[in-house]
Amino acid sequence: MVEQATKMKRLINAIWIFNWFNSCGFCELVPLVGSRWDMERFGMIITGTPRHADVLFIAGYQTLKSIKRAQVIYEQMPDPKAVIALGACTMSGGMYWDSYNTIKRLADYIPVNIYIPGCPPRPEAVFEACMKIFHHVGAVPPHGRKFAKAHRG
Amino acid sequence: MAEILHKEGKVIEDISAKFKIAGKAQRERRVWVTIDKDNLIALCNFVKELGFEHLSAISVTDWPEEGTFELTYHLWSYSKKILLTIKTKLDRTDPIVDSVISIWRENAQIHERELHELFGVEFEGNEDLTPLFLEDWDGPPPFRKDFDWKEYVRQQCYDQANERERAYYD
Repeated sequence: MVEQATKMKRLINAIWIFNWFNSCGFCELVPLVGSRWDMERFGMIITGTPRHADVLFIAGYQTLKSIKRAQVIYEQMPDPKAVIALGACTMSGGMYWDSYNTIKRLADYIPVNIYIPGCPPRPEAVFEACMKIFHHVGAVPPHGRKFAKAHRG
Repeated sequence: MAEILHKEGKVIEDISAKFKIAGKAQRERRVWVTIDKDNLIALCNFVKELGFEHLSAISVTDWPEEGTFELTYHLWSYSKKILLTIKTKLDRTDPIVDSVISIWRENAQIHERELHELFGVEFEGNEDLTPLFLEDWDGPPPFRKDFDWKEYVRQQCYDQANERERAYYD
């Protein structure tokens, strides 16, 4: 946990995002990109390649075929990295809980850091999830503080 | 009415003169023909020559009570402006049919591949019937009506002994 928080420290300046959205997934993030909620003011930018991304946003149901691509994307991302799963589908399969071709729990396939419930989640909830990453870094135990102090010089 | 459906009637006449089957002109630009599966390729070759150069779609309808799969080929002619639909029936226990890939090429490929995956229909002559969506699938073809997908999902994904997943079995 401590080690993870230390790694997260390096994420704190900005979050660069790679999106992996199936089906209606991107409707959950569209308001954030627009001017009303405007995630860029917090330094959140959508990158074109997983190799530049700190955070992987996954939303919508994942099929047995697309989850393999998601795993490849996750492996391509440089450390430290976090996965934020949006919406009901990633938690339980959502309305596709009885489909033969979708996965039911995303965490069985990819290490998920935070789930955001909702169908779709409110944009505020997505911001809150990102803030929780920051707060998690802020509330790190002594080892982490020492790390932070050393960095303050 | 007869004048309006003149060109549709001409297509049916041409087909029935050669294949001894009746067709139906449902309305303007809409023609239906049913044929047995042995003559399917001959008919397809014939209508391609007539000008039906575009294969819009192939679909399968499952009739478990009858024990048949019904194949439906939707063909469009750019010159005649007619949508011709050819129907044929297959035995459900032994669903093998000749591929139309030699006639419509890439048009047919994606449809035959999909129907092979979803219904288990064999298209003889099609070289590439690898799965399209269902990688690593080992269950029965999922679009068949006798496939109990709810039961399949319960078996595969949910544990009845798990308290949190017991609700899926109610």
